[in-house]
Amino acid sequence: MLETPVFQAYCGEGPPRFANPYELECAKVLDWYGVPWQYEPRTFVLEADGDRVLEAFTPDFYLPEQDLYLEVTMMKQSLVTRKNRKLRKLRERYPDVNVKLFYRRDVERLAERFKLPIAS
Amino acid sequence: MRELGEAIARDYEGREPVLVGALKACVVFLADLSRALPIPHELDFLELASYGKANAPPEGRIRLLKDLDRSIAGRDVLVVEDIVDTGLTLRFLCRTLALRAPGSLGVVTLLDRPYRRLVDDLPVRYTGFVVPDELFVGYGFDVDERCRALPDLHVLRPAV
Repeated sequence: MLETPVFQAYCGEGPPRFANPYELECAKVLDWYGVPWQYEPRTFVLEADGDRVLEAFTPDFYLPEQDLYLEVTMMKQSLVTRKNRKLRKLRERYPDVNVKLFYRRDVERLAERFKLPIAS
Repeated sequence: MRELGEAIARDYEGREPVLVGALKACVVFLADLSRALPIPHELDFLELASYGKANAPPEGRIRLLKDLDRSIAGRDVLVVEDIVDTGLTLRFLCRTLALRAPGSLGVVTLLDRPYRRLVDDLPVRYTGFVVPDELFVGYGFDVDERCRALPDLHVLRPAV
């Protein structure tokens, strides 16, 4: 179970429950800079058969001021084919939705820059 | 540098902008830019607490460790950045300075990684170079305070 500090810029409903330490550190960085953020506030249906959802995608963060969804992945860029495909689908189905994928390299850059404990 | 200086001088002709640098990485760039700027201008500095560093405030929120020495109300302010990446630091800086009612607020950055931007509403008006996703040292850029004083910019690659 990951520690969940008291966040100041978090503007979602209910306490966020992060799936891994990288998401937690990203949340801390956003909080540090006072950028309002939500955690997994929306699930996008990518494929459905009537009422039955066949495929969906829930980006990790939403930054309301930027109207930007942010997905954080620790997979290497070369191994994220499936995630990229989902993202492509999301952009096709929801062209007005602004979404960005932060790859492992991006998170490591953040970690290096901000001296995060996840820095490799 | 000359091109940046000329572009800024053109846009700010007849005015006396204040170049504001956030310590420390911008120092070398700011010094060179100042010397390449053929119009009267002032220099001022501030310093921000860094995330995860010893000087980080306990309240867990970015704040100024050193403020500007003079008022910028009504002045043309040009923030001088070493690099704009996610834009998080610059967003805080611009919002903080905007509260002080400057006449105008713009940003000049030596390096830019626009593809990693998380916040886009930033007044970046002048960019030296758009750079690939590499780590830079020298020319003010450091790794744990090392390599900052190298006279040129170097790409730091992990040992294979």
